[in-house]
Amino acid sequence: MADTQALQNVLRDEGRLPRVPDPGVVVIFGASGDLTSRKLVPALYELASERKLPMEFAIVGISRTEMSHEEFREKLRGTLEEHVSGGVSDDVWESFSSGIFYLAGDSKEPETYGELKDFLRDVDSERGTRGNRAFYLSASPSLFSTIVENLGEAGMNEGEDGGWSRLVVEKPFGRDLGSARDLNEEIRRHFDEAQIYRIDHYLGKETVQNIMALRFANGIFEPIWNQHYVDHVQITVAEDIGVGTRGAFYEEAGALRDIVQNHVMQVLCLTAMEPPVAFDAESVREEKVKVLKAVRPIPEDEVEDYAVRGQYTSGWIWGEEVRGYREEEEVDQDSVTETYVALRLFVDNWRWAGVPFFLRAGKRMPKKATEIAIQFHSSPHTPFAHQDTEGLEPNVLVVRVQPEEGVSLKIGAKVPGAGFEVSSVNMDLLYGTAFLEQAPDAYQRLLLDLMLGDPTLFIRADEAEGAWGILDPVMRRWAEGKKVEFYPAGTWGPEEADGLLKRDGREWRRP
Amino acid sequence: MIGETRKSPGNGPMSVSEIEHELGKLRANDDGTLALRSSVLNLIVVTDEESAPEVTRSVSNLAGRYPARAIVLISDPDDPNPNVDAQLSAFCNVRGGGGAQVCAEQVTIHAEGPPAGHLESLAGPLLIPDLPVFLWYPGAFSPHSPEFAAMSDLADRVILDSAAREDREDSLREIAALVGRGGGPAVGDLQWVGLSPWRSLLADAFGSPERAGDLEKIASAEVLYAPGGECRALLLVGWLASSLGWNPKGLERDGGHRRVEFDGPSGSVAVELSPDSPDARLRRVRLRSPEHTFQVSRHREHREVKTTVMRGEELVAERTVHLGHFDLGVLVGEELQFRGRDETYEAALRTAVEVIDL
Ligand SMILES: NC(=O)c1ccc[n+]([C@@H]2O[C@H](COP(=O)([O-])OP(=O)(O)OC[C@H]3O[C@@H](n4cnc5c(N)ncnc54)[C@H](OP(=O)(O)O)[C@@H]3O)[C@@H](O)[C@H]2O)c1
Repeated sequence: MADTQALQNVLRDEGRLPRVPDPGVVVIFGASGDLTSRKLVPALYELASERKLPMEFAIVGISRTEMSHEEFREKLRGTLEEHVSGGVSDDVWESFSSGIFYLAGDSKEPETYGELKDFLRDVDSERGTRGNRAFYLSASPSLFSTIVENLGEAGMNEGEDGGWSRLVVEKPFGRDLGSARDLNEEIRRHFDEAQIYRIDHYLGKETVQNIMALRFANGIFEPIWNQHYVDHVQITVAEDIGVGTRGAFYEEAGALRDIVQNHVMQVLCLTAMEPPVAFDAESVREEKVKVLKAVRPIPEDEVEDYAVRGQYTSGWIWGEEVRGYREEEEVDQDSVTETYVALRLFVDNWRWAGVPFFLRAGKRMPKKATEIAIQFHSSPHTPFAHQDTEGLEPNVLVVRVQPEEGVSLKIGAKVPGAGFEVSSVNMDLLYGTAFLEQAPDAYQRLLLDLMLGDPTLFIRADEAEGAWGILDPVMRRWAEGKKVEFYPAGTWGPEEADGLLKRDGREWRRP
Repeated sequence: MIGETRKSPGNGPMSVSEIEHELGKLRANDDGTLALRSSVLNLIVVTDEESAPEVTRSVSNLAGRYPARAIVLISDPDDPNPNVDAQLSAFCNVRGGGGAQVCAEQVTIHAEGPPAGHLESLAGPLLIPDLPVFLWYPGAFSPHSPEFAAMSDLADRVILDSAAREDREDSLREIAALVGRGGGPAVGDLQWVGLSPWRSLLADAFGSPERAGDLEKIASAEVLYAPGGECRALLLVGWLASSLGWNPKGLERDGGHRRVEFDGPSGSVAVELSPDSPDARLRRVRLRSPEHTFQVSRHREHREVKTTVMRGEELVAERTVHLGHFDLGVLVGEELQFRGRDETYEAALRTAVEVIDL
């Protein structure tokens, strides 16, 4: 259907004008919640304002709180300014919000879905949205399977009148391998994989997508991107913030579930994957899944050799004293929840055999930084005298995702003067600066892809399970033990994490 | 942003290698290390003394988003004394904690007398290798100007403004001839770039499948534009006509007002182009089919545009969005992102010229 439509509209100059999705409705479960007003609606507003959405577009919000359409619109309008970059225009808002509707209802009650179905029919005829629906699960994760089941029972797993139906699942996708499998199974009872869009907003970030551009649009990196040349890889996802007001949430989650299972594993996949044949959903995700499958399982009785869990104590960050995790609001005084994780993984395939991947993620690190460091072998032989090469270190290629996107390469160069003293020099290329175009917010990108029906930057079922599978032994082991290693806020993690690398004579870089 | 200017050390013009050396020095940090140059393109600008300050301003604004080596050529071929002098500046954006800088460079060359007829000999050696070359004429342009043939050989893409000349119809004719000749660089027109949002909005108005069928049945159209904006209006009509299969049949003029008759797929199409108030370059585009009226219009004081679809007196669909910002830098920036020939533009331009030649 989409195709005939595109053919008919000869005014759509695809060469130069942005692609605009088919007419459709986004239905948000959890409409009175934080994510809706802070991310989803602002992203949709900006897309609409920049002419990236079709004229025939509507949003229908559902949650239990009683509100009229107008009250819902006002609630969203009230906080919109804080969350959009370009300012809000009253005229644009008025036009956009005339397509925003609210339905009060409990997601657990089947009646809600009957009402929703009727309501969506009305929206179709009033707004011309043609039976196309995207259901966005932004309620608490415990409701995900109930909502999916009810949507299925009500027949909303298919669009009306030949339209499409898509399902967006927010994170967290399960809390371990078993629950992720269950959730996948429940969802797939009602929706096909091609209809399902599992969010990892990290993939919506321009800079993360750039890892693929760097690797696969440049002929010079790929030939050395393997065990012949690479000694080891370090992936760091560091935040300087603590848990803030989300203590209760974090007690349940911990860094492993909150960051490692999704974001860090995604960065690992993008770093280690084979070049996909095409940049489409199946080709790209197939290659990512292969990486996850190739990761050597961590033996449950040797978890200590592969994983370190840490927790921050009080310390200093950027000139400010901050409290320890156990002193945070709504955190247990004896909590062993990890705010830091370090892992040593091996990707057992032809390309990476024997190359350790060191991964770390943590809160209250000295600064916010996401980077991938590819450390190469030392040159096999130096013709220069020993004392001349003291300042020389192996080549390192660093792909920085945050804060300043770029690549840097550490190379050896001659120090000017007599003799042949050689020393390491950092070459920095901030390729981010070559295009200062304001990068769209991750949610904007993902919501647009959702409307366009492109799941490349979303997580496939086997990807989610693969990532959980790697971490499962660690989680089981940690659930038994009560031991956590401490690190003062403002440092790069506990000493034990250094031990992971020291055993084979390596050390963490300072990002 | 740090801007710094350097002139020839001592007397006489700088050599190419002196210029390169000085540009390098402009990127030097206090500790002697060199700030990085990241560049994505070469931009050659041909202008005159009078427009030079404004052009330089736009170029330095562009430098933030499209780091380039810009070569601004200020040419005065009528000056009896042959002279060439060069001025250099670098615009560095300081980024992030490490004090890392990224710089874009500008070389401004004044060429007077005979050298002004050989600008290619000045611009050519200064181009950064391996990067595309854009040639921008911010002011009046004619492909017959003495330096153009040689300059266009250097360029991958020429950026023009068809409205910069007084005789706008001739300007369109000349550009169409240039495009039609083929073999030369791709051509971009700032008047066309400014139409992108309008084109996108018009396409959206027919986005719903029920209404896409109306595209074949358009019977009349109206375009209101600011005085002096006929290039834009003609290109828009040319685009509609070439996309929808309308053939120009007849033209009536009444002052600035034009009435064009086309042969469309479902009979004749009457199109009116009328100058309107000066405060919006395009004020309104309205298309009528037997059933619907489609209209995209801009409110006088606002940056927003409103699209409406009416069936008789009934409002079927309506939407207001941002038109976007369209200063010179943005328009040129859009062109710098586009590579290769823009066939939709070329078709629109051909039809626009057929219309004015009726
Ligand atoms: N907020 C974030 O920054 C963020 C980031 C990443 C992922 N997420 C994920 O996004 C989802 C939403 O997060 P959030 O922060 O927006 O949560 P929230 O603020 O707690 O919102 C939860 C929403 O669910 C609704 N709800 C709860 N029970 C319901 C029921 N039985 N029937 C209908 N509606 C019900 C609530 O409204 P009523 O009480 O009115 O029913 C509320 O609108 C979660 O899955 C979360 O993990 C959030």
